[in-house]
Amino acid sequence: MSDTTHFGFKSVPLEDKQRRVDDVFDKVARRYDLMNDLMSGGLHRQWKDALVAKLRPPKTRAFDLLDVAGGTGDIAFRAVAAGGPRTHAIVADINGDMLSVGRARAAQRSLTARVEFVEANAEALPFADRRFDAVTIAFGIRNVPRIEAALGEMFRVLKRGGRFLCLEFSHVDVPGLDALYQAYSFRVIPELGRAVVGDAEPYRYLVESIRRFPEREAFAGLMRNAGFARVSATPISGGIVALHSGWRL
Amino acid sequence: MTDRPPGSVDPKLLEILVCPLTKSTLEYDREKQELISRAAKLAYPIRDGIPIMLPDEARKLDESELKR
Repeated sequence: MSDTTHFGFKSVPLEDKQRRVDDVFDKVARRYDLMNDLMSGGLHRQWKDALVAKLRPPKTRAFDLLDVAGGTGDIAFRAVAAGGPRTHAIVADINGDMLSVGRARAAQRSLTARVEFVEANAEALPFADRRFDAVTIAFGIRNVPRIEAALGEMFRVLKRGGRFLCLEFSHVDVPGLDALYQAYSFRVIPELGRAVVGDAEPYRYLVESIRRFPEREAFAGLMRNAGFARVSATPISGGIVALHSGWRL
Repeated sequence: MTDRPPGSVDPKLLEILVCPLTKSTLEYDREKQELISRAAKLAYPIRDGIPIMLPDEARKLDESELKR
Protein backbone atom coordinates (compact mmCIF):
# COMPACT_ATOMS: atom_id res chain seq x y z
CA MET A 1 0.00 0.00 0.00
CA SER A 2 3.04 2.25 -0.10
CA ASP A 3 2.57 3.19 -3.78
CA THR A 4 1.55 6.79 -4.13
CA THR A 5 0.79 9.08 -7.03
CA HIS A 6 -0.05 12.72 -7.37
CA PHE A 7 -3.51 14.23 -7.14
CA GLY A 8 -2.80 17.77 -8.22
CA PHE A 9 0.06 18.82 -5.92
CA LYS A 10 -0.84 16.35 -3.16
CA SER A 11 0.60 12.87 -2.89
CA VAL A 12 -2.12 10.26 -2.50
CA PRO A 13 -2.15 6.46 -2.45
CA LEU A 14 -2.59 5.09 -5.99
CA GLU A 15 -5.94 3.54 -5.13
CA ASP A 16 -7.26 6.88 -3.78
CA LYS A 17 -6.54 8.85 -6.93
CA GLN A 18 -9.31 7.24 -8.97
CA ARG A 19 -11.91 7.95 -6.29
CA ARG A 20 -10.80 11.58 -6.07
CA VAL A 21 -10.83 12.02 -9.83
CA ASP A 22 -14.32 10.44 -9.98
CA ASP A 23 -15.46 12.97 -7.43
CA VAL A 24 -14.11 15.84 -9.53
CA PHE A 25 -15.99 14.69 -12.64
CA ASP A 26 -19.21 13.92 -10.75
CA LYS A 27 -19.20 17.55 -9.68
CA VAL A 28 -18.49 19.04 -13.08
CA ALA A 29 -20.23 16.68 -15.58
CA ARG A 30 -23.30 18.83 -16.29
CA ARG A 31 -21.36 22.05 -16.72
CA TYR A 32 -18.34 20.42 -18.35
CA ASP A 33 -18.58 22.02 -21.78
CA LEU A 34 -19.63 25.43 -20.51
CA MET A 35 -16.63 25.46 -18.18
CA ASN A 36 -14.32 24.35 -21.00
CA ASP A 37 -15.57 27.22 -23.13
CA LEU A 38 -15.14 29.75 -20.35
CA MET A 39 -11.73 28.55 -19.21
CA SER A 40 -10.17 28.23 -22.65
CA GLY A 41 -12.03 31.11 -24.32
CA GLY A 42 -13.49 28.54 -26.73
CA LEU A 43 -10.01 27.32 -27.71
CA HIS A 44 -10.74 23.74 -26.58
CA ARG A 45 -12.95 23.41 -29.69
CA GLN A 46 -10.02 24.26 -31.96
CA TRP A 47 -7.77 21.84 -30.10
CA LYS A 48 -10.28 19.01 -30.54
CA ASP A 49 -10.76 19.94 -34.21
CA ALA A 50 -6.97 19.74 -34.62
CA LEU A 51 -6.98 16.19 -33.24
CA VAL A 52 -9.75 15.07 -35.60
CA ALA A 53 -8.04 16.79 -38.56
CA LYS A 54 -4.96 14.67 -37.84
CA LEU A 55 -7.07 11.55 -37.36
CA ARG A 56 -8.64 12.00 -40.82
CA PRO A 57 -11.28 9.26 -40.65
CA PRO A 58 -11.84 7.86 -44.18
CA LYS A 59 -14.90 8.76 -46.29
CA THR A 60 -15.65 5.28 -47.65
CA ARG A 61 -13.68 2.60 -45.78
CA ALA A 62 -14.83 1.16 -42.47
CA PHE A 63 -13.08 2.87 -39.56
CA ASP A 64 -13.40 1.94 -35.90
CA LEU A 65 -12.34 4.52 -33.35
CA LEU A 66 -11.98 4.06 -29.63
CA ASP A 67 -12.07 7.33 -27.70
CA VAL A 68 -10.87 6.79 -24.15
CA ALA A 69 -12.01 9.09 -21.34
CA GLY A 70 -14.27 10.79 -23.87
CA GLY A 71 -17.44 10.71 -21.76
CA THR A 72 -19.33 13.66 -23.15
CA GLY A 73 -18.68 12.56 -26.75
CA ASP A 74 -16.79 15.64 -27.93
CA ILE A 75 -14.18 13.73 -29.95
CA ALA A 76 -16.48 10.90 -31.07
CA PHE A 77 -19.12 13.23 -32.54
CA ARG A 78 -16.48 15.20 -34.42
CA ALA A 79 -14.88 12.01 -35.74
CA VAL A 80 -18.07 10.46 -37.12
CA ALA A 81 -19.00 13.83 -38.67
CA ALA A 82 -15.58 14.02 -40.38
CA GLY A 83 -15.60 10.39 -41.56
CA GLY A 84 -17.86 8.49 -43.92
CA PRO A 85 -20.94 6.43 -43.01
CA ARG A 86 -18.74 3.49 -42.02
CA THR A 87 -16.87 5.45 -39.35
CA HIS A 88 -17.93 4.23 -35.91
CA ALA A 89 -16.80 5.34 -32.50
CA ILE A 90 -16.84 3.74 -29.10
CA VAL A 91 -16.53 6.08 -26.14
CA ALA A 92 -15.04 4.53 -23.02
CA ASP A 93 -15.06 6.48 -19.78
CA ILE A 94 -14.74 5.45 -16.16
CA ASN A 95 -17.25 8.08 -15.07
CA GLY A 96 -20.93 7.24 -15.42
CA ASP A 97 -22.11 10.85 -15.11
CA MET A 98 -19.95 11.97 -18.02
CA LEU A 99 -21.21 9.02 -20.12
CA SER A 100 -24.84 9.89 -19.38
CA VAL A 101 -24.25 13.39 -20.71
CA GLY A 102 -22.62 11.93 -23.85
CA ARG A 103 -25.33 9.38 -24.47
CA ALA A 104 -28.11 11.97 -24.16
CA ARG A 105 -26.27 14.13 -26.69
CA ALA A 106 -25.83 11.20 -29.09
CA ALA A 107 -29.60 10.69 -28.96
CA GLN A 108 -30.24 14.40 -29.64
CA ARG A 109 -27.97 14.23 -32.67
CA SER A 110 -29.44 10.90 -33.91
CA LEU A 111 -25.98 9.34 -33.64
CA THR A 112 -26.71 6.40 -31.34
CA ALA A 113 -26.15 4.00 -34.26
CA ARG A 114 -22.62 5.30 -34.82
CA VAL A 115 -21.40 6.20 -31.34
CA GLU A 116 -21.50 3.66 -28.49
CA PHE A 117 -20.79 4.24 -24.82
CA VAL A 118 -19.04 1.88 -22.41
CA GLU A 119 -18.05 2.45 -18.80
CA ALA A 120 -14.49 1.20 -18.54
CA ASN A 121 -11.13 1.83 -16.92
CA ALA A 122 -8.34 2.95 -19.28
CA GLU A 123 -5.95 0.71 -17.34
CA ALA A 124 -8.03 -2.44 -18.10
CA LEU A 125 -9.89 -1.98 -21.37
CA PRO A 126 -12.71 -4.46 -22.13
CA PHE A 127 -11.76 -4.98 -25.78
CA ALA A 128 -9.94 -7.73 -27.60
CA ASP A 129 -6.42 -7.18 -28.99
CA ARG A 130 -6.01 -5.29 -32.29
CA ARG A 131 -9.62 -4.20 -32.56
CA PHE A 132 -9.43 -0.50 -33.53
CA ASP A 133 -8.11 1.57 -36.43
CA ALA A 134 -7.40 4.44 -34.08
CA VAL A 135 -7.41 5.18 -30.36
CA THR A 136 -7.72 8.72 -29.06
CA ILE A 137 -7.67 10.29 -25.62
CA ALA A 138 -8.26 14.02 -25.16
CA PHE A 139 -7.52 15.65 -21.81
CA GLY A 140 -7.86 12.27 -20.13
CA ILE A 141 -4.45 10.64 -19.70
CA ARG A 142 -3.51 13.20 -17.02
CA ASN A 143 -6.27 11.84 -14.79
CA VAL A 144 -5.32 8.17 -15.08
CA PRO A 145 -3.51 6.90 -11.94
CA ARG A 146 -1.24 4.48 -13.85
CA ILE A 147 -0.37 6.20 -17.12
CA GLU A 148 1.96 3.39 -18.30
CA ALA A 149 -0.77 0.77 -17.83
CA ALA A 150 -3.23 2.86 -19.85
CA LEU A 151 -0.73 3.43 -22.67
CA GLY A 152 -0.08 -0.34 -22.77
CA GLU A 153 -3.79 -1.08 -23.02
CA MET A 154 -4.40 1.51 -25.73
CA PHE A 155 -1.51 0.00 -27.70
CA ARG A 156 -2.90 -3.52 -27.22
CA VAL A 157 -6.33 -2.78 -28.69
CA LEU A 158 -4.90 -0.93 -31.70
CA LYS A 159 -4.62 -2.73 -35.05
CA ARG A 160 -1.26 -2.97 -36.75
CA GLY A 161 -0.93 0.25 -38.76
CA GLY A 162 -3.31 1.98 -36.37
CA ARG A 163 -2.73 5.39 -34.90
CA PHE A 164 -2.83 6.70 -31.35
CA LEU A 165 -3.52 10.40 -30.79
CA CYS A 166 -3.44 12.06 -27.41
CA LEU A 167 -4.40 15.64 -26.72
CA GLU A 168 -3.22 16.93 -23.37
CA PHE A 169 -2.26 20.08 -21.55
CA SER A 170 1.43 20.74 -21.84
CA HIS A 171 4.03 23.25 -20.77
CA VAL A 172 4.03 26.78 -22.12
CA ASP A 173 7.42 27.68 -23.55
CA VAL A 174 6.70 31.13 -24.99
CA PRO A 175 8.44 33.83 -22.86
CA GLY A 176 5.86 36.12 -21.23
CA LEU A 177 2.98 33.79 -22.01
CA ASP A 178 4.16 31.31 -19.36
CA ALA A 179 3.85 33.82 -16.48
CA LEU A 180 0.50 35.07 -17.76
CA TYR A 181 -0.77 31.52 -18.15
CA GLN A 182 0.38 30.58 -14.68
CA ALA A 183 -1.38 33.57 -13.10
CA TYR A 184 -4.54 32.87 -15.06
CA SER A 185 -4.49 29.17 -14.16
CA PHE A 186 -4.02 29.55 -10.43
CA ARG A 187 -6.06 32.70 -9.80
CA VAL A 188 -8.81 32.85 -12.42
CA ILE A 189 -9.74 29.24 -13.19
CA PRO A 190 -10.61 28.10 -9.62
CA GLU A 191 -12.77 31.24 -9.20
CA LEU A 192 -14.54 30.51 -12.48
CA GLY A 193 -15.25 27.05 -11.11
CA ARG A 194 -16.67 28.51 -7.93
CA ALA A 195 -18.94 30.83 -9.92
CA VAL A 196 -20.19 28.29 -12.49
CA VAL A 197 -20.11 24.88 -10.78
CA GLY A 198 -20.32 26.20 -7.22
CA ASP A 199 -17.00 24.66 -6.20
CA ALA A 200 -13.42 25.84 -6.79
CA GLU A 201 -11.81 22.60 -5.62
CA PRO A 202 -12.26 20.52 -8.83
CA TYR A 203 -10.63 23.30 -10.83
CA ARG A 204 -7.77 23.70 -8.41
CA TYR A 205 -7.13 20.00 -9.06
CA LEU A 206 -7.32 20.62 -12.82
CA VAL A 207 -4.72 23.38 -12.72
CA GLU A 208 -2.35 21.48 -10.42
CA SER A 209 -2.63 18.27 -12.43
CA ILE A 210 -1.68 20.19 -15.58
CA ARG A 211 1.51 21.42 -13.92
CA ARG A 212 2.33 17.89 -12.76
CA PHE A 213 1.86 16.22 -16.14
CA PRO A 214 5.16 15.15 -17.79
CA GLU A 215 6.93 17.41 -20.28
CA ARG A 216 6.39 16.56 -23.95
CA GLU A 217 9.66 14.65 -24.32
CA ALA A 218 9.11 12.64 -21.13
CA PHE A 219 5.63 11.65 -22.27
CA ALA A 220 7.00 10.67 -25.69
CA GLY A 221 9.36 8.33 -23.81
CA LEU A 222 6.43 6.67 -22.02
CA MET A 223 4.71 6.19 -25.38
CA ARG A 224 7.80 4.54 -26.88
CA ASN A 225 8.08 2.25 -23.84
CA ALA A 226 4.47 1.17 -24.43
CA GLY A 227 5.45 0.11 -27.96
CA PHE A 228 4.45 3.07 -30.10
CA ALA A 229 6.58 3.97 -33.12
CA ARG A 230 7.09 7.26 -34.99
CA VAL A 231 6.22 9.13 -31.82
CA SER A 232 5.84 12.88 -32.17
CA ALA A 233 4.41 15.83 -30.23
CA THR A 234 3.05 19.03 -31.73
CA PRO A 235 2.67 22.01 -29.40
CA ILE A 236 -0.49 24.06 -30.00
CA SER A 237 -1.38 27.55 -28.72
CA GLY A 238 2.13 28.29 -27.48
CA GLY A 239 2.40 24.91 -25.76
CA ILE A 240 -0.71 25.26 -23.60
CA VAL A 241 -1.64 21.90 -25.12
CA ALA A 242 0.21 19.29 -27.19
CA LEU A 243 -1.00 16.73 -29.68
CA HIS A 244 0.95 13.50 -29.20
CA SER A 245 0.95 10.93 -31.98
CA GLY A 246 2.23 7.37 -32.27
CA TRP A 247 1.65 4.32 -34.45
CA ARG A 248 1.42 0.61 -33.92
CA LEU A 249 3.63 -0.73 -36.70
CA MET B 1 -29.70 2.74 -40.07
CA THR B 2 -32.22 3.43 -37.35
CA ASP B 3 -31.73 4.61 -33.82
CA ARG B 4 -32.31 2.01 -31.15
CA PRO B 5 -34.75 2.65 -28.34
CA PRO B 6 -33.09 4.15 -25.28
CA GLY B 7 -31.87 1.55 -22.82
CA SER B 8 -31.02 -1.17 -25.36
CA VAL B 9 -27.52 -2.22 -26.32
CA ASP B 10 -26.18 -2.50 -29.84
CA PRO B 11 -25.51 -6.20 -30.62
CA LYS B 12 -22.33 -5.15 -32.47
CA LEU B 13 -21.03 -3.59 -29.27
CA LEU B 14 -21.66 -6.82 -27.34
CA GLU B 15 -19.61 -8.70 -29.91
CA ILE B 16 -16.46 -6.71 -29.35
CA LEU B 17 -16.53 -6.50 -25.55
CA VAL B 18 -14.35 -8.83 -23.50
CA CYS B 19 -13.78 -9.21 -19.78
CA PRO B 20 -11.40 -6.40 -18.71
CA LEU B 21 -9.64 -8.75 -16.25
CA THR B 22 -9.22 -11.94 -18.28
CA LYS B 23 -9.83 -10.57 -21.82
CA SER B 24 -12.06 -13.61 -22.41
CA THR B 25 -15.38 -13.52 -24.30
CA LEU B 26 -18.63 -12.73 -22.50
CA GLU B 27 -22.12 -14.19 -22.49
CA TYR B 28 -25.09 -11.86 -22.69
CA ASP B 29 -27.93 -12.48 -20.23
CA ARG B 30 -30.75 -10.51 -21.83
CA GLU B 31 -33.17 -11.02 -18.95
CA LYS B 32 -30.84 -9.81 -16.23
CA GLN B 33 -29.09 -7.31 -18.51
CA GLU B 34 -25.69 -8.65 -17.56
CA LEU B 35 -22.52 -9.66 -19.35
CA ILE B 36 -21.13 -12.85 -17.86
CA SER B 37 -17.42 -13.57 -17.57
CA ARG B 38 -17.06 -17.21 -16.61
CA ALA B 39 -13.30 -16.87 -16.40
CA ALA B 40 -13.48 -14.05 -13.83
CA LYS B 41 -16.73 -15.38 -12.25
CA LEU B 42 -18.26 -11.92 -12.62
CA ALA B 43 -21.45 -10.50 -14.10
CA TYR B 44 -21.04 -6.97 -15.48
CA PRO B 45 -24.28 -4.96 -15.38
CA ILE B 46 -25.79 -3.05 -18.30
CA ARG B 47 -27.53 0.11 -17.10
CA ASP B 48 -29.53 2.36 -19.42
CA GLY B 49 -27.87 0.61 -22.36
CA ILE B 50 -24.34 1.30 -21.10
CA PRO B 51 -22.25 -1.79 -20.24
CA ILE B 52 -20.43 -1.15 -16.95
CA MET B 53 -17.17 -3.01 -17.50
CA LEU B 54 -15.70 -2.34 -14.07
CA PRO B 55 -14.91 -5.32 -11.79
CA ASP B 56 -15.82 -3.22 -8.73
CA GLU B 57 -19.34 -2.77 -10.11
CA ALA B 58 -19.76 -6.40 -11.16
CA ARG B 59 -21.74 -9.08 -9.34
CA LYS B 60 -19.81 -12.13 -8.17
CA LEU B 61 -21.19 -15.36 -9.62
CA ASP B 62 -21.77 -18.30 -7.32
CA GLU B 63 -20.95 -21.90 -8.23
CA SER B 64 -24.55 -22.82 -9.15
CA GLU B 65 -24.70 -20.01 -11.71
CA LEU B 66 -21.40 -21.06 -13.22
CA LYS B 67 -22.62 -24.65 -13.79
CA ARG B 68 -25.47 -23.53 -16.03
